[in-house]
Amino acid sequence: MKLTTYAGNLHDLSVLKNLNYDEVILGPKTLSRFGTLSPEDFMSLSTRARDLGFRVLLEWDILMTEDVFVSVLPHLKALLPFADAIRVQDPGALHWCLENTYHPIQFIAENGNHNLKALEGWVELSQGRLERVVVSLELSKDLLKNYIKNLTIPCELLGLGRILLFYTPRPLLSALAPEKVSQNELIMALGESEESPHKGFPILENHHGTFMFHIKEFCLIDFSSELKEMGLGYLRIDQRFETPSQVEKISKLIEEFSLDQFENFKSSYSQDLMRGFYLVNKTDILFPKLKNSRLQQREGTFIGEVLEAEKGSHLAIMVKNPRGLKKTDQLKILHPKGEVIFAGIFSLKNLSDEQVEIVPYGEMALIQYVGGVWVKSQVFYHMIKE
Amino acid sequence: MKHPSVPEILAPAGSLEKLKVAVLYGAHAVYVGGQKFGLRTAADNFTLDELKAGLDFAHERGVKVYVVLNSFLHDKDLFELPEFVKYLEEIKTDAVIVSDLGVVKTVREYSQIPIHISTQASTLNVHSAKLWKKAGASRIVLGREVSVKEAGKIKREAQIEIEMFIHGSMCMAYSGHCVISNFTQGRDSNRGGCAHSCRFEYSLEDLSTLEKKKAYFMSSKDLEGLRLLPLFIEEGIDSLKIEGRMKSHLYAGTMSKVYSEALGFYSEHHHFLSDDLLRWEEELKRVSHRDYTQASLVEKAGAQSIFNERENSTEGQWRMVGSVVEANPKAGIVVEVRNAFNKGDELEILPFKGPNISLVASEIQDLSRKEILRTKPTTLVRLPYVEGVEKMHLIRHRISP
Repeated sequence: MKLTTYAGNLHDLSVLKNLNYDEVILGPKTLSRFGTLSPEDFMSLSTRARDLGFRVLLEWDILMTEDVFVSVLPHLKALLPFADAIRVQDPGALHWCLENTYHPIQFIAENGNHNLKALEGWVELSQGRLERVVVSLELSKDLLKNYIKNLTIPCELLGLGRILLFYTPRPLLSALAPEKVSQNELIMALGESEESPHKGFPILENHHGTFMFHIKEFCLIDFSSELKEMGLGYLRIDQRFETPSQVEKISKLIEEFSLDQFENFKSSYSQDLMRGFYLVNKTDILFPKLKNSRLQQREGTFIGEVLEAEKGSHLAIMVKNPRGLKKTDQLKILHPKGEVIFAGIFSLKNLSDEQVEIVPYGEMALIQYVGGVWVKSQVFYHMIKE
Repeated sequence: MKHPSVPEILAPAGSLEKLKVAVLYGAHAVYVGGQKFGLRTAADNFTLDELKAGLDFAHERGVKVYVVLNSFLHDKDLFELPEFVKYLEEIKTDAVIVSDLGVVKTVREYSQIPIHISTQASTLNVHSAKLWKKAGASRIVLGREVSVKEAGKIKREAQIEIEMFIHGSMCMAYSGHCVISNFTQGRDSNRGGCAHSCRFEYSLEDLSTLEKKKAYFMSSKDLEGLRLLPLFIEEGIDSLKIEGRMKSHLYAGTMSKVYSEALGFYSEHHHFLSDDLLRWEEELKRVSHRDYTQASLVEKAGAQSIFNERENSTEGQWRMVGSVVEANPKAGIVVEVRNAFNKGDELEILPFKGPNISLVASEIQDLSRKEILRTKPTTLVRLPYVEGVEKMHLIRHRISP
C-alpha cells in the first residue's frame, strides 16, 4: 500500500520527498474543486516534482456543464504535458481523456458506486485506460475487501481528510451578503442547524461553487495495517485544509503504527475524527420506518380501503383489485389498529344505489355496514386456507 | 415549413391513483416507482399488480410509463433486481430510469428495456452523454444545472434523446452528490432516505468577519419553465419532466394539464401567443409551491434562485377538497372528500381539458341522500349533477381571498 497526497508548493515537495512518497496530486485552480495553483505555478511545481522523481497526478475533479467544460479545456490542454496521469470524477472528463489523451486515468468513484458491478463497469468502459479507481468513503471494510480482490486495477481510499457532504455550483454564501464580497473570492463559514445535532459544518465557497463538509474528518489511520493486508493500492492523506499540514506525522504513524501515538495525534489534531461506515454501513436500516406499514400490504389479496363507514348504513370500498368485488366474496378486514374482522357480503351496491353482483376494478362498492370497521380499514379477500 | 416536434410532458405518479390523474389530465408519459430501487422510500409507490394496472391504464390511452430504478444500489440490493427487471419487461415497461452503472449493466443483462440515465447521475455535458450512450443508455435526464441551450448542443453532438426538468422542487446540490443525510442521520440519500437537510435553517458564522446570520441558504426555489417552452422546442428537447412523486393529486393533475395544454396549443398554432398563457401561469401559482425560478435553464442560477424561507409560498392558497368518484344524473356528483367544505361554498372543478367549471355547493347529501351542511374529510358526499363533470375530476376550493 502506497501513500498519496496533495502538494501545493515546493516545501510540500521536499517534505514528501523525505517521506518517500513517489507521487503527488496537483490541483489547478481552474480544474480542481479546491485547487489553488495557477497554470504557471502548476507547471513549475510539476517540473520540480518530476525533477525530484515524483509522478505528477493532475486533478480535474470539478463537475462541468457543457459551457464550463468547453471553457476549461484550453487550461487542461496547456497542463497535460506536465502531468503523468489525470484524476477525473465527471464521466464527461473521463470520456474526453479516453478520446483525446494517452495519459493513464484515475477515476474518482467516490459518489455512489457502491457495488462491484458499477466499478467493473467503469473499468470496462475505459477500455484498459484506467490505472486506479478512487472508491467511496461509505464502503464497509467487507465490501472494500471484495472490491480490492476482484477489481483488475488498484483502489485508492481516503485515509485522512475532510468528508465532502454537499457540492453545488451555486454561490450560496456570497448570496447572503453580496455587497461584502467580490466575485470568485474564497469565503469560509461554519454552519449549524437546530434540526441537526451536529454543530460547526465547515462551508466553503469558491469560483467552482459551494461545498459543505462534515464536522469531523474521516480517518482510517488506525486501520492502516488492515488496509495494507487487504491489498489496498493507495491510501490518500488530504491535508489541504489543515494548517500547518500534519502529513509528516500522519505518514510516519501509518508506517509505524502505535496506539499511544495515535491517541496523542488525535488529541492534538484540529478536528475530531471518525471512521464513517468502515466497520458497517447500515444507512438503509431506517427505511422500513419511513414507510407507512399499511401501504406495504397491497399485494395479492388486497381489495381496497374503506373510504366511508356509516354506522347502520354502509361501508364504501374503492375496489383496487383487478378481480373486482363479488357478492359471493368473503372478506377479511384489517382495522387501522390491527384488529382483524371477517365478514360476508349481504348487500352490494354501486353509487347509483343499484344492487349488483360485482363491482369492477376502479369503482366504488357499497356493502352493508360491518360493526367495528373504521375508515381506512383495509379489505382483503379471505383465504380459507390461511 | 416543417415545424419542430414538441417534447413529451413527463409527469410524476407517486401512486396508481396519481398515475391515472396525470394520464387523464394530459401527460404524455409518467414515471413511477416500485417498492424498491427508487429514491422515494416514503412514497406509496407501486406494488407489482399496481405497476401492471398502471401500465395497462396508461398504454390504453397512448401514454408511456417509465419506472425509476435510480438508487445507487449496494451489492446486496442488486440480488433482487434481475427478477424485477424481467417483470418490468414482461409488463411492457417503456423505459427504466437509472443512475448507477451497476444497475445499467443489470438491466442490459436481463432485458431489452430502454435505459434513461437519471438526473441523479448529474450528466452535464456532451462527453458525459456520449459515455452513457456507450454504456447502453437511450436517453439522458440532464442535471438541473444545464441550460436549455447547452442541452440542445448535448443532444446534437451526442445524438441521444434528452430529457430536462421543467417544473418542481430542486436539489441545491448536484444531484447524487449530496450525502448530508448519510453522515448526519444515518439515512442514505442516494437510496431513498434523503432527510431534506438542505431545507433546514442554518446559523452561519463567517470566518473572516465572525458575523453570524441565520438563513435557509441551501434551500432552492422551485423550477418553473412555462415561458421557456419555445426554447425547449427550438433546441429539440425530447422530454420535459415535472418533479414531484411525493406531491398531491392536485399537483399531478394541474401540472399535467397546464404543460400539455400549452404544448397542444403550440402543435396546433406553431406559436405560444395564446390568450391562455396568463391562465396557465395562474394555474401554476394556485398549486402549493416555493417561489418560482428558472434556475439555470437560461443563465446560471445565482443568488436569486435561493428560496431562503421555511414555508411554501402563500400564492398557492387553493386546496383540493376532493375528487369525483362517480358522476351521472342518477348518482349525482359523488365526491371523495379530502378537505372539508360547506354548503354554499364556491368550488372549482378541474376538467381534463379546458377552463375550470365553477360550482356552488348548493346542496350536499351524504351517500344515504340525507342533506348535510358541512362535509368531513374521508367521507363520500353527493353534489347535484352538472353536465361535463366526469369521474376522476379534481375539485378545489379557495382557502383565502
